Amino acid sequence: MKNENSIELVNVKKKFKIYADKGNSMKDKMLFWKRNQYEDHWVLDDISFAIKKGEAVGLIGRNGCGKSTTLKLINKIMYPTDGKVKVNGRVSSLLELGAGFHPDMTGRENIYTNASIFGMTKKEIEEKIDDIIAFSELDEYIDNPVRTYSSGMYMRLGFSVAINVRADILLIDEILAVGDMSFQKKCFKRLKEIKNAGTTIVIVSHALGQIEQICDRCIWIDYGKIRRIGKPMEVHAEYLKELEKRSQQRMQALNGEPGTGNDSNTFCGREVIRSGSGQLFFTGVELFDRDGNRESVFQTGEYMRAEYTFTAAKEIHKAEFAVRIYGDDDTHYYGSTSVIEKSCTEEIQGKSKFIIEFEKLELLEGDFMLDVDALDENGEVLDRIHDTIRFCIQNTTGRTGICNMSSTWKLE
Amino acid sequence: MDKLKELYAYRQMLISLVKKDLRGRYKASVLGFFWTFINPLLQLLVYTVVFSVVMRAGIEKFYIFVFVALVPWIFFSSALTGGANIIVMNQDMIQKIYFPRIVLPISYVTSCFVNMLFSFIVIFAVLFVTGYGFNFTACLFLPLIMIIEYIFALGLALITSACTVYLRDLEHILGIVSMAWMYMSPVVYPLSFIPKELQSVFQLNPMAPIITAYRDILYYKQIPQMQTLLLATVTGIVFVCVGCFVFERLQRGFVEEL
Repeated sequence: MKNENSIELVNVKKKFKIYADKGNSMKDKMLFWKRNQYEDHWVLDDISFAIKKGEAVGLIGRNGCGKSTTLKLINKIMYPTDGKVKVNGRVSSLLELGAGFHPDMTGRENIYTNASIFGMTKKEIEEKIDDIIAFSELDEYIDNPVRTYSSGMYMRLGFSVAINVRADILLIDEILAVGDMSFQKKCFKRLKEIKNAGTTIVIVSHALGQIEQICDRCIWIDYGKIRRIGKPMEVHAEYLKELEKRSQQRMQALNGEPGTGNDSNTFCGREVIRSGSGQLFFTGVELFDRDGNRESVFQTGEYMRAEYTFTAAKEIHKAEFAVRIYGDDDTHYYGSTSVIEKSCTEEIQGKSKFIIEFEKLELLEGDFMLDVDALDENGEVLDRIHDTIRFCIQNTTGRTGICNMSSTWKLE
Repeated sequence: MDKLKELYAYRQMLISLVKKDLRGRYKASVLGFFWTFINPLLQLLVYTVVFSVVMRAGIEKFYIFVFVALVPWIFFSSALTGGANIIVMNQDMIQKIYFPRIVLPISYVTSCFVNMLFSFIVIFAVLFVTGYGFNFTACLFLPLIMIIEYIFALGLALITSACTVYLRDLEHILGIVSMAWMYMSPVVYPLSFIPKELQSVFQLNPMAPIITAYRDILYYKQIPQMQTLLLATVTGIVFVCVGCFVFERLQRGFVEEL
């Protein structure tokens, strides 16, 4: 093992036995031996990488791709079927919070138990205990039995212990969601401090933003193999594109050609919330980039064009179109209509495409969806669909928040 | 060697778990920690009533005869049956955190052991109060035999705790085994009750020399036979070595099996 490395994985393979129906008791084992037939499943198939001392690395991938297994191998919770896992230094993990807590014992007593499970000696714990209590913000509750704690307090205590363990390597699995916003912020700040102090950090997360903020590198694991290693921004961009591609493939596989849905409560083969008389009927939608390629992942400031196809049953003298952008938490980000935009929408018949071009997407980051409406001149709804298509925006500007503001900065 | 070093690094975990077990056991009850003493006292009371009033065995001070053997036996059987469960019980922790797994059975057996030590306070109190008295020189051998029993119990607990992960029935099987084992061991009767031709068979039971040694020291107030002690020591060491080996082998698959 090279000296500058703190973790090395060499040709690591891990096999799980997938039992059809597993019995652990003797009766099951003897009577239903057929049930104990299993299939081998290679969770990790020949993975090699090295992590340098003091480096922060993110592991990403879809559920079941093997990223948590990788973390468990590094942590020595599991052992590889083949290959070598070399770890240099003391490992602490934020995998399970509040391990070994006894409900009838006080917070303070439980700190001792919990910290000792991480391998701390009594002396080390005594040095740290004030920090731990301060970090947990439990103050006067610390000498109450843990069973009187709210679940938030419980998690905060567990987190405070885990994050105060002095370790060379810190492993984190998807748990930066403890407590309220201010506590989360504090955790994040502490994580950065830990990193700056030279601790190696490995994070498994679906929150790509968090990885980008902390990690120097990102490893994308796909079907038990390493798909890509690189700068978080670059790996994430590719990862998101792949995700979107797969979800579209899945949808196409389910529904044949896209954009042929003709049922009143479906759109593009998906179930949607839809209303209206149907005299004007949207049949499909696609998003394009400036070069006319179909796209669903955009970067802040990029061009986006949405094209809605529709059929009009009879002549519609004048219609009004409306489009709204929602976030995946149903926040309304943007909305406008053809009236506001002074677009000519007379004499619909014969036309079958409604196009909106966004010269610059000024949203910073997230998953978004488009709603569309078509109204007649009296304001009666012809067709209204919620969540017609989704797209994702990546923020490579480094700016934070929800919308991009152009600004000039200078000193005078 | 590395394993031992690691175990030493995790000594605080051992201490914490033992403390947690001892203090947590009676924490919610009204009498709390006093139960540690009340429990053996009440047991003594039951055995006194049963064996000196109902079933007269014709052995002088029978309650003391039984009690000095029963307390070590309870330690052994609880280490055996409870120890079997310890890995399965702590599966959440095992699946999420790394620590030397061997800490769990060790801490459990240790907490049973400490519990036995508390019971011995009661034994000595009874010996003193009833005026039965004790032989000081013989009592010097008491720690030795306790350590031997501890090692033997630990060896077995290591094996059973690891095996139970793979075969959950073991937990129930061991309940019966421990009961049968008790009646096969000279706990409620002296070894001399056993027919001559079966004596050699009964001597194969590793608990027989251990229980006999306890009784020699406390009931007969004599120094236990060296042969008995040696036999028990050798069995204890063999079992703990086998136990460590088996445990180390089986622990690699714990997370996948649980």
